[in-house]
Amino acid sequence: MADKMDVDAVSGAREEETVGPAPDLPPERIIINNFDLIRQAVDAFDSRFILRALRSISTLRKSDKFAEAIVQGVRTAFPKPTMGARKVLEDMLPENVTAMQNGTSSSGEDKKRDGSTEEQQLPEIWAYLGILVQVYLYDSQQFQDGADFSTNFVEKIRSWNRRTLDQIGAKAYFYYSLFHESLDPKPPSKQSPVIEVRPKLLAALRSAVLRKDNDTQAAATVLLLRNYIITADITQADLLVAQTQFPSAASNNQVCRYLYYLGRIRAIQLAYTEAHDHLESATRKSPTAGPAVGFYQQSMKLLIVVELLMGDIPERSVFRQPALETALYPYFKLVQAVRVGDLQAFLRCVTNNEGQFRKDGTYTLILRLRQNVIKTGVRMLSLSYSRISLRDICTRLHISSEESAEYITAKAIRDGVIEATLDHQNGHMVTNPQRDAYSTTEPSEAFHARIEALLNLRDECVMAMRYPMNKHRQELSEAAKAREREKELAKEIIEGEGDDADGDEGGFEGM
Amino acid sequence: MAENELKQIVSQLDSLKANNLSEAPKLLSRAKLALLNLNALVPTEKTQPQHLALAASVLEYGALISIRLQDTDAFTRYFQQLQPFYFLPSDRSPSRRQSNQGKVTGLYLLLLLSVGDYAGFHTVLEGLEASSGKEQIEKDDFIQYPVRLEQALMEGSYDKVWGETKGERVPSEEFGVFSEVLVNTIRSEIASCSERAYPSLPISNAKNLLFLDSEGAVIQFAQSRGWVAKEGRIYFPQQEEEMLAAQKDVMSSSNVVIENTLGYARKLETIV
Repeated sequence: MADKMDVDAVSGAREEETVGPAPDLPPERIIINNFDLIRQAVDAFDSRFILRALRSISTLRKSDKFAEAIVQGVRTAFPKPTMGARKVLEDMLPENVTAMQNGTSSSGEDKKRDGSTEEQQLPEIWAYLGILVQVYLYDSQQFQDGADFSTNFVEKIRSWNRRTLDQIGAKAYFYYSLFHESLDPKPPSKQSPVIEVRPKLLAALRSAVLRKDNDTQAAATVLLLRNYIITADITQADLLVAQTQFPSAASNNQVCRYLYYLGRIRAIQLAYTEAHDHLESATRKSPTAGPAVGFYQQSMKLLIVVELLMGDIPERSVFRQPALETALYPYFKLVQAVRVGDLQAFLRCVTNNEGQFRKDGTYTLILRLRQNVIKTGVRMLSLSYSRISLRDICTRLHISSEESAEYITAKAIRDGVIEATLDHQNGHMVTNPQRDAYSTTEPSEAFHARIEALLNLRDECVMAMRYPMNKHRQELSEAAKAREREKELAKEIIEGEGDDADGDEGGFEGM
Repeated sequence: MAENELKQIVSQLDSLKANNLSEAPKLLSRAKLALLNLNALVPTEKTQPQHLALAASVLEYGALISIRLQDTDAFTRYFQQLQPFYFLPSDRSPSRRQSNQGKVTGLYLLLLLSVGDYAGFHTVLEGLEASSGKEQIEKDDFIQYPVRLEQALMEGSYDKVWGETKGERVPSEEFGVFSEVLVNTIRSEIASCSERAYPSLPISNAKNLLFLDSEGAVIQFAQSRGWVAKEGRIYFPQQEEEMLAAQKDVMSSSNVVIENTLGYARKLETIV
């Protein structure tokens, strides 16, 4: 489960739509069908077909004949064994599969060969097969081979510089960095190979921006952020965010990831409000079911911690969602401890679940919660008692000394956590009677915030609508045609009028 | 040649006493020149291990001496220069630097804390947790010291901070440089808390609360913050002002309401 979640956190979001084209087809058929889709995409210059071809990968990789299917795909696309492109791909696949296929399918291929030998194969098809090989290598844990192959592969894709390759390129970079992450020594160490990937990703980002290649740009930004965060180079990640612009046309999944990483950076920098905004949109946009649920859980965990740090208590219903219930159990306990302001329960919870929190990367954030627990405790006391002695506060909250308690309550009053005054001589905290919330501007502010949110939602909906390309041109020509027809009609009417006039006259005459 | 000269400078730096610290910067710049000649100021693949050790120790001396001279900018520079040395693979890094790495990093954390850069503090801490592991950090007294201080500061237990800055609790003399800054920080924190928390306070109690030495100092401090001290009590003048501000808030909010309503109308028009 643990390993799966990690992978899902990165690769899952991409695979949310597993509704491949007709899942009962044999894998090699799917691959070959996809060639048609890709050709169509290149002809029509429409990236949607490529996306559809890429979408079937998750169905393909589950098949136990994945390697064979790739080999067949390669053979179909590059029938001549001498072709360089074919050799590069086949070198990566297991030898017994290639050898076996040599025997069985050669006769079938001979027939095809006549038709297509001369035909130059599209780079998109080669790149698509390359992605399949990457997926295969990753699934069969050949990380070193995969890393070497990917390095050459992404270089090749970059040198082609074709806009129809963008989506494939983005995915290629994704596996490229995933392979390097899986190599030893693993990331938190400063000698990890992920650091060597950075210049390449930065170069990819640069060329993507220059070529207005939104997909690769988004992918490279997200990968770089991940790369920096994984080695805890928060400053560098922050600088990257400040210096780059995330393409607004990026796919939803990339936006989710970007927001998640951004939220993470801001949380570490103590900018909780910002972090909360980013994480909230990330969790809302992320798919909540299917293989990507790992990402949802992960971002939800972080969101809960950030909410606690802001002094809010997450709603109980969050923990009741079936996708989250088990994964969030330690966090549920944590929230309970913070909610009642019980410092002992909080510390116990942290020590019990330390391993889990560390794995989620929330441990350091959770340690910062200590002061919030104390503040909540003070607030609970202030709500329950109109007057309480500092000694009692001490014992209730398990604070070491009365002096500390006095400073802590004074700070809570200054920070606006409670409405109270301190009586130093008698050692009391006196709670001020609550003011009526409706006499302040608070209700109108809340009203405004809600209206604003709804209006923004509407604006975003309008912006998110998709308009078919060149539709307006079609409309223009239709309008022109309509005008033409109108003219003709008008002419006919005029002519007809003449006729009618004649006829009428005749009629009258006749009468 | 350069290497021997370096060794000589390092031993000179080692034997420098507190009274002639002013000579140190000169020695240090000579040492850095020598390092440049050896091509060891920035570690590369080819740098020899003994040069690495020399370079790291020169930079560490530089960092510690600039703290004693209270030159924080120079200290930050040395700290940044030391980073690549600290992240070398363990088989290539000089062995004896372990003790000083914690010290320099702890000092840097304390510096960030004393200037109130909490975001930077947590960023550095996060990096430490990830790269050197929890056990090492928890063992390291030099790093635990600023961590404890930060916790107490955030919590509001200022008496703990006060206790930590006392002579015997400070892990080494370089850390003591920051004590004064920290005490000033907590004093102004306490002052701003007291303004809100107490209607008035006897001067003798304020002396204890603010960690001041005499009642005269309290009165002086009260005047600097604009508090009124009479009949042995300090009165905090903020309340009336606050009431005024609240009144104004209600008055000025009508403008906001009008503005918002107009905004809604405009938006409605675009939708319908």
